Amino acid sequence: MPGMNSGVNVNDPTVIAAFKSALFHQGIIALLIFAVLGLAWLTVRAWWPAAETGEQTGPGVQPAAAPAEPTWRQLLRVGFGLIWVFDGVLQAQPKMAIGLPSQVIEPTAASSPRWVQDVVNWAGTNWSYHPMQAGAAAVWIQVGIGLWMLTAVRGRWSQLAGLASVAWGLVVWAFGESFGGIFAPGLTWLFGAPGAVLIYCVAGGLIALPERWWHSPLIGRGILGGTGLFLLGMAVLQAWPGRGFWQGGSHRQPGTLAGMTSDMAQTPQPGSLAGWVRAFTSFDEAHGFAVNLFVVVALVLIGGAFLSGRRRLIRPALIAFTVLCLADWVLIEDFGFFGGLGTDPNSMIPFILLALAGYLALSPAPATAPAQATAPEPATGPAPAATPGLAAAAATAPAWRDRVKPASVRRSVATASFSTVVSVSALGLIILGAAPMAAAQASPNADPILAEAISGSAAPLNFPAQPFTLTDQHGRTVSLASLRGKVVLLTFLDPVCTTDCPLIAQEFRQAGQLLGTNSRNVELVAIVANPIYHQIAYTQAFDRQEYLTKVPNWLYLTGSVPQLQQVWKNYGIAAEILPAGSMIGHPDIAFVITPAGRVREELDTDPGPGTTATKSSFAVLLANAARSAMGRS
Amino acid sequence: MSRRAGRASLLLAAAALAAGCGSTAPQAGTSASAPQPPSLSTSLVTATGTWAVAVLGGSAAQHNNFWQLFVRPAATGTWRLATPPGVASNGGLVMASLGAGSVVAAFRPSQDLSYSPLATTHNNGSAWTPGLLDAGLANVPDALAATPGGGHLLALLADGQAELSGPSGTAWTRLATHRALAAAAAGRRCGLGRLTAAAFTAAGVPLLAADCTRPGTAGIFAHAGGTWHLAGPALPSPYAHQIVTVLRLTTAGGTTTALLAAGTGPAARLLAAWSTDGGARWALSPPLPLHGAKLTSASPGPGGTMAVVQNESYAATVAAGGSWRPLPKLPPGTATLAPGPAGGWDALAVHGSKLAIWRLAPGGSSWAATQTINVPVQFGSSG
Repeated sequence: MPGMNSGVNVNDPTVIAAFKSALFHQGIIALLIFAVLGLAWLTVRAWWPAAETGEQTGPGVQPAAAPAEPTWRQLLRVGFGLIWVFDGVLQAQPKMAIGLPSQVIEPTAASSPRWVQDVVNWAGTNWSYHPMQAGAAAVWIQVGIGLWMLTAVRGRWSQLAGLASVAWGLVVWAFGESFGGIFAPGLTWLFGAPGAVLIYCVAGGLIALPERWWHSPLIGRGILGGTGLFLLGMAVLQAWPGRGFWQGGSHRQPGTLAGMTSDMAQTPQPGSLAGWVRAFTSFDEAHGFAVNLFVVVALVLIGGAFLSGRRRLIRPALIAFTVLCLADWVLIEDFGFFGGLGTDPNSMIPFILLALAGYLALSPAPATAPAQATAPEPATGPAPAATPGLAAAAATAPAWRDRVKPASVRRSVATASFSTVVSVSALGLIILGAAPMAAAQASPNADPILAEAISGSAAPLNFPAQPFTLTDQHGRTVSLASLRGKVVLLTFLDPVCTTDCPLIAQEFRQAGQLLGTNSRNVELVAIVANPIYHQIAYTQAFDRQEYLTKVPNWLYLTGSVPQLQQVWKNYGIAAEILPAGSMIGHPDIAFVITPAGRVREELDTDPGPGTTATKSSFAVLLANAARSAMGRS
Repeated sequence: MSRRAGRASLLLAAAALAAGCGSTAPQAGTSASAPQPPSLSTSLVTATGTWAVAVLGGSAAQHNNFWQLFVRPAATGTWRLATPPGVASNGGLVMASLGAGSVVAAFRPSQDLSYSPLATTHNNGSAWTPGLLDAGLANVPDALAATPGGGHLLALLADGQAELSGPSGTAWTRLATHRALAAAAAGRRCGLGRLTAAAFTAAGVPLLAADCTRPGTAGIFAHAGGTWHLAGPALPSPYAHQIVTVLRLTTAGGTTTALLAAGTGPAARLLAAWSTDGGARWALSPPLPLHGAKLTSASPGPGGTMAVVQNESYAATVAAGGSWRPLPKLPPGTATLAPGPAGGWDALAVHGSKLAIWRLAPGGSSWAATQTINVPVQFGSSG
């Protein structure tokens, strides 16, 4: 897929070091955010005692009665908060910055329809342009959302945390999971349909519900009914003939499920886990029909029980569902995050949490909570409409203009709870990740670190450039001396080359565009690197092919074979004729020559995979080198 | 509707929806299709040698498989590698005889190369002179043709155009476009499909071949007097309702040979046709049923001979005005056949980067291994 950085080494030490450095520095900023906000809160509380702010605290003082957070919501909030934090930690894997587009997003989308691939490719390309910022952003946004959900127990902050989970979850579901694979032909619940992150979204939406809904029996029935319907649909899909699930294997080829688990078993992971998955694969290959029949029947029974709304059916169904999910998680999903670049623990744990929350929500709960250990949030938290005490408070709540007055802000800070301070810090964490990514997206050019990862850093040099006199694509004689006063970006290209040379030419062309008005002071020069196909007709054909005919500072030089051989020798270029239908072998290299005619840099221009991102990255590197050479002698 | 019934309806609807979401779309009806032109693997006989082209490498990555030219000089029984150097041949190689033992080879575009470098030899591949077609050659074995004297070249391009070179193989000009040919009277009579071959008559008249969507019409067009006219054989009545495809079109030794396919799917049959007067009159071979087999190679030989390979396993030959004769079962991996040194046939079998030559004596009943060439394929040299 274009733009996905396929082929860039995910283990490249340059990239890994840069990603770790970015995370380290942003981590320090994150700690500072927590420290500064914490200190500010403690300071304000110390300077303005509770009596002055109107806060009522201390033993024996009861805050206004508020509905207790129901267990189901607590489970979702804490459960999915922890999962978001875990996902954020997984995003911090060193290979993730470069590897996510090519090793996670691209394979996920591979079997989806073309339009899904286009959507996903757009996102993958954007990520690939700025892999450091995107990788770090994913870490901080997910850790931030997780912490936010964990600490914001109630009120508007808590609802916003739920909505943030929904919003980011949809982004991840669409672009990272290719819509959970729901448009791909091999869709199955066993492998995570409809996508783990979509369940995060559902949970986020439930957390965002207003407090007056917390004790509604509709919540439990809705969760279980929706899950039941979904499971029944998945059962139908699982039973659908012709999808390969009824066969464990045929003609020495594994069936759909055995093929999937067989692939999973081959990913790097502890040997015992791989052994379990392999054992299941063998079992499924031998008893494919029975396995699928069991799955279909189990999904139908569990889905039907959930849909019935009867507690006596739901309780055993929930136990069965939990066991089934855990078995699937271990034997089929392989814990979700082992091998390759795992980004989440897949769908089974979220499914268990969701179903359990639905069951808990069926239970009646007290309308009000016992005394809370922490104070409510009079300034920032919402006023639950169903609670008379707080409703009255809401009725007398100050207008927003009053809230931003220093005294009001001071009072808000002083009366804020610890969880509010952590929630605000978590929001700061999200901004810490999102802001650099947003700023980077404003630039149409890729991060030059991709080019450095492919070719390594440039070697600084300082020696006189060897002179040459050759013929350009228009038949005019051009010497290096005639270009004195301009920076020369010099490379060697084979006009009938099928791979690297056209990409390098594109990178030169883009570099010229990036230089803008400075390009008048730069000559983009290529010298033919083919001792057989070196005539002007080829340089002209190459220029037409690469849309270089209208680039005013582009020169493609050639000459007789002895002339070319002399120049190649002077610049250390070996143009080797290879046998058996191979193109000419020559190094991909560029020299940066100052206006005074001195070679100041030698760049390895091997274009790597030649994606739009890597081409742009090389162009930035070349343009930067040219700018740097302008002011040098 | 009761609550239970409503719930059941909802359940069914959701199940159907879910099933629909995940199920694959039904395959489009697989209507029987006309045979495709064979691969670029073929052979060519000149005054000084016999040439063959085949792809070697055996790699799953297409860019690591390189097309190679082999030559067996006349009066010898030994083949050697003669691929022109300097350009990656992983897009394909097409060759044409320039007469007097000279051969021009064209590299098909591949990867990021969009035009077709040429290479000409006058000494059986010992030395090559570069040339240029600033456009991408079509992926058919008869995409390049030369006038019998070798002065002009005719190229069929991947975009459906045909270009004609000046006398020395340079200065290319457009001879035809698919659109113009389709709009011409001859094109309309044929119901022009894709262009499949380019050739010259013995008198140097450019010929183009195509699929005709109008049944019973063989799409061979001659360019004379500034216009194109149909010059294909008139097919007898059994073929009047069948789609006819021109698979090969070559001229050698004064004879223009066409390989036609009549019909579609398992009912398709091969026909060879010969003309010695520029397409005014044609002789037609009896049909060779394909029985659904894939035509993997077709090689013209001297005197209008044609050898075809089906499914890389079975072969048959036909001489001008004669009938199809089956050959013994081919050696495994046979890519193409080439005329042998004493009137027999050579089978060029590919195994990875190794070419095995098997020889069938005239009238022989079995293939004999005669030679193996290890080709130094440069895996990884093109990306």
